[in-house]
Amino acid sequence: MEYFIHLAILVSIYAILGLSLNLVVGYTGLLSISQAAFYGIGAYTTAILLTRFDLNFFVSILAGIVITGVCSLLIGFVLSRFKEDYYALGSFGFNIIVYSIFLNWQSLTQGPLGIPGITRPTIFGFSLSENIAFLGLAVVGGILIFFFCEFIAKSSFGRVLKAIREDEQAIEIFGYKTLYYKLAIFVLSAMIASVAGSFFASYITFIDPSTFTLNESIFILSIIILGGLANLKGSVLGALFLILLPEALRFVGFPTDIAAQMRQLVYGVLLVVLMLYRPQGLLGEYKL
Amino acid sequence: MNIVPQLVLNSVIAGAIYMMIALGFNLIYGTVKFFDLGYGVLTAVGGYAVFFFYKKLELGLPVSIVLGILIAGLIGYLVNKFVYTKLRERKASNMVLLVASLGVFTALQALIAMLFSSQFQTLSTNAGSSTTFEIYGAVITLVQLVILISGLVITGLLALTMNKTMFGKAIKAVSDDEEVSKIVGINTQKIISGVFFIGAMIAGLAGILVGFDTGIEPTMGMSLLLKGVIASIIGGIGNVYGGVLGAFLLGFVENFGIWKISGEWKDAIAFTLLILFLLFRPQGILKK
Repeated sequence: MEYFIHLAILVSIYAILGLSLNLVVGYTGLLSISQAAFYGIGAYTTAILLTRFDLNFFVSILAGIVITGVCSLLIGFVLSRFKEDYYALGSFGFNIIVYSIFLNWQSLTQGPLGIPGITRPTIFGFSLSENIAFLGLAVVGGILIFFFCEFIAKSSFGRVLKAIREDEQAIEIFGYKTLYYKLAIFVLSAMIASVAGSFFASYITFIDPSTFTLNESIFILSIIILGGLANLKGSVLGALFLILLPEALRFVGFPTDIAAQMRQLVYGVLLVVLMLYRPQGLLGEYKL
Repeated sequence: MNIVPQLVLNSVIAGAIYMMIALGFNLIYGTVKFFDLGYGVLTAVGGYAVFFFYKKLELGLPVSIVLGILIAGLIGYLVNKFVYTKLRERKASNMVLLVASLGVFTALQALIAMLFSSQFQTLSTNAGSSTTFEIYGAVITLVQLVILISGLVITGLLALTMNKTMFGKAIKAVSDDEEVSKIVGINTQKIISGVFFIGAMIAGLAGILVGFDTGIEPTMGMSLLLKGVIASIIGGIGNVYGGVLGAFLLGFVENFGIWKISGEWKDAIAFTLLILFLLFRPQGILKK
């Protein structure tokens, strides 16, 4: 049972990451491969604030959102100069730079040793140290974020984003400053990813840089591509599928270290097959 | 002790490796016009093929190296035939091809890790006791000397092929305009296949040389690929000679950049260079 709760928490966290990235890649058509960087900034903010300053978990989420917002604004500003595949490459680069900072700014992040002993959240004096209680928090957080993303997608702001995706020049002629829209959604998406990072740090109680590599960004990208671009339910479905499938492989009898590689093999092959036969994913409305 | 000669030498050696990767990458980019990220994993394919033949089967060194290069070439050829060609026939966008190549990369990397474990291994049999030479107080190993010579030979051979043979001229024609090349009777499929085969062989060779110099691990491809891509872009994407310039510039900036700080920052320095170039001189040093 404990094991299923663990998986359900992971699915919730990755669903949040998928939802956040879908706003940028699916709705706005910007191929960003740097979500793990913002996920990491959120996780590190929570880890540092909880272990060194003994702050409340929810305060650390807010702090993470603010810090990630500032970082993503700077990064987004540079990225907004690029288009299509150069955009992807630039975002790649920022992921690597942020990863290097996690790894090398040792006085802050303790480098490759990571930060242990992160505490679980407490609500009104009640500690969520039981996994089932934490699952409640993660699911509630996930649902709130889902509806928030849906609200954005259906708002007039969301319609402009889709218009940018379809034809940026045309919407510019109508007088929309697309730069501000692209920056706004990029920052918003990074902030949501930061919340997922805070959840992750507090749930696992230990973080190190190896969680926030480029591979993680590719993994999050495959979640939304599998589920479907510009479809929020698809992102949840994609997270469910890609987290559970490798676990199923483990039950078939593969040893743990092979199972870890198997996860990569599966989503690598999946990306190729989807691009070949179904570029819009399972439920998607938009093709890259 | 004066450290500058050693830094210069290290920069040149790094530059030679990046140059080989950039040459192959640029050759492919120039012909098919998309970022083939799967190209990176071919370095690991070459390295591990030599590891298998030389260390596991104990074949002779020259035979193993030739087989390693050919296998890398073959994999590059097959990936193009079964993935990229199909996508290009369907007029898939650059982003679809980029995501597919990311999938190829992840899948092959995981496959190598499953076959050979993800541990760091070295190809050379006499690690630590290899022959070294001294130039102006800087030390260079035999392997590193071979790297420099291979870099020169590959560049020379490629320049000769591109300028003096029918095949090279056909490549240039396809890069300029694929449709028109078809009309004048060039078998573009065949030319593109050839380009992928040659590019992949160069990547394989680079991977093998790195394997003898430092060592191999399944994840080696990503950082090599990124350096090659950065070198190509700052040199002028699609411009073969630009790639050479970019590679050495990158080698020097990286190695002198870590003069006073930890070597772990290399990747971050490389990407900062890329982003500066993309912002202020997006066409690279030499424009195509």
